[in-house]
Amino acid sequence: MATATDQVVGFGLVAFSLVLFVYYTVWIVILPFIDSDHGIHQYFLPREYAVIIPVVAGLLLLLFIGIFIAIVMWKNRKPAKKLD
Amino acid sequence: MTKLGQWLWGLALLGSAWAALALGPLGPRVPPPCRQVLLPLPIYLLVAFGCYSLATVGYRLATFNDCEEAAAELQEHIGAARADLRQRGLRF
Repeated sequence: MATATDQVVGFGLVAFSLVLFVYYTVWIVILPFIDSDHGIHQYFLPREYAVIIPVVAGLLLLLFIGIFIAIVMWKNRKPAKKLD
Repeated sequence: MTKLGQWLWGLALLGSAWAALALGPLGPRVPPPCRQVLLPLPIYLLVAFGCYSLATVGYRLATFNDCEEAAAELQEHIGAARADLRQRGLRF
């Protein structure tokens, strides 16, 4: 058995991604087929955000990865050899 | 053809099919709600794939079994190796 922390984190990730998937699927695939006066639309942002939010999140992810790589490379640089 | 070539070919086919339906001249012939679903479809597939990856990582993290005896044995090996190297003169 994995440790309790591992199990909590692991199943938490599963639950989070499931919720995210269901919400996003309803937002993108199901809402266009529901009449615009139905009450369910109040739980969802306007559809432009369904594209903007993932794109911005992806860009932020790339930004953090780039910053991480830059920091690691900066720490590992060797000082230039001094010539006598 | 290499695997990369196959993947790129498949992506190009799907991409051009999507572009033809969503952006192209067939536009008015697709019913409006289907069009609204079709336009964000690439991003939707990307997000769905990301969710699947996250769920897989989380599930495998939760179900990976600890190996107590193997961990203890490994620590033993580490201790023995350190003692041996220290004896031969390597300083830690």
